[in-house]
Amino acid sequence: MIEVNDMKKKFGHKHVLKGVSFTAEKGEITCIIGINGVGKTTILNAIMNLTPLNGGQILIDGDTISKHSYEKITFIPDAIIMQPNMTITEAMQFMADFYDSWNQQRATELLDFFKLKESEKINNLSKGNRAKVNLLLGLALDVDYLLMDEPFSGIDIFSREQIADVFTSHLVEDRGVIITTHEINDIEHLIDKVVLLDEGKVLKQFNSEEVRETEGKSVVDVMREVYQP
Amino acid sequence: MNVTFNKRDPVYVQVIRHFKEQIATGTFEPGQEIPSRRELANRLKINPNTAQRAYKEMEEAGLIYTERNLPSKITKDEKILQSVRKELIMEAVDNFVHSVRSINVPVEEVLTLVKEKYESGREGDEA
Repeated sequence: MIEVNDMKKKFGHKHVLKGVSFTAEKGEITCIIGINGVGKTTILNAIMNLTPLNGGQILIDGDTISKHSYEKITFIPDAIIMQPNMTITEAMQFMADFYDSWNQQRATELLDFFKLKESEKINNLSKGNRAKVNLLLGLALDVDYLLMDEPFSGIDIFSREQIADVFTSHLVEDRGVIITTHEINDIEHLIDKVVLLDEGKVLKQFNSEEVRETEGKSVVDVMREVYQP
Repeated sequence: MNVTFNKRDPVYVQVIRHFKEQIATGTFEPGQEIPSRRELANRLKINPNTAQRAYKEMEEAGLIYTERNLPSKITKDEKILQSVRKELIMEAVDNFVHSVRSINVPVEEVLTLVKEKYESGREGDEA
């Protein structure tokens, strides 16, 4: 389980996170939603120990974050960070050289799943395919937790569908996933847990199936109540 | 298998409902193997934990059964199969009665209409 307790972060005088707390379980998809502005990416960066906090604590399976956290978690940024003149094969090789947890078999399966051609240069890929390669490079690591920053943002509907399909496949298996997004429509039935964020605070967190069962509300219904009271 | 889910009912309840419909219409036959939880999640594009929940509930209700490590199957229990059919029919009748009653039509007139419509619909099906 990833536990975030009272996370605080300032950029200059601006309080970006004002005491954010939530948990994300293994085997579940947790979705951090914020309709406007900053905070979501900062939370993921903080869990990856990429940005120092001004307060609060993060626990991964009960341990405070350290350099060993990288064996358990990976961060998939919202855009691919590989050299654009690399081919997909070269990008995969780069990951394999860099990470002990690289799983070549899963990488090959993902290539097939996304119908990508290894020999293509990242440069020449469509936006949707570039997003898929980006996702592939993270998903192919044998880690327990996957943090994905806006995996559905700015790509065509068919690519979005294909990416959504990954979440129900064995390629994600029983890992814990945290996704940030500002758009929920495509993935309402895919996620377990929702964390609604605004102005650096968690306004509400809930299990989406539970809210349907006990209150007869969709995730968007709850968002409407919370964001537009 | 293509199901459109609404966003306000629990997805596991909608999955069970889909299975009941398939059983009642004979699309799923008694003893027929059903997809694994993961396959179902993938096909219906739903959360794997939700698929798991639906199967657990159906197993408890006796709609499906699992022997050792084999794939789960649709029940062969005649009593349960009949009750599924009855449940869906009653539900449809209830809905129908509810909407007809609100228009204030005498029951005899309704029954005549139902019979006419039902028969002509059947001919239509055969044509």
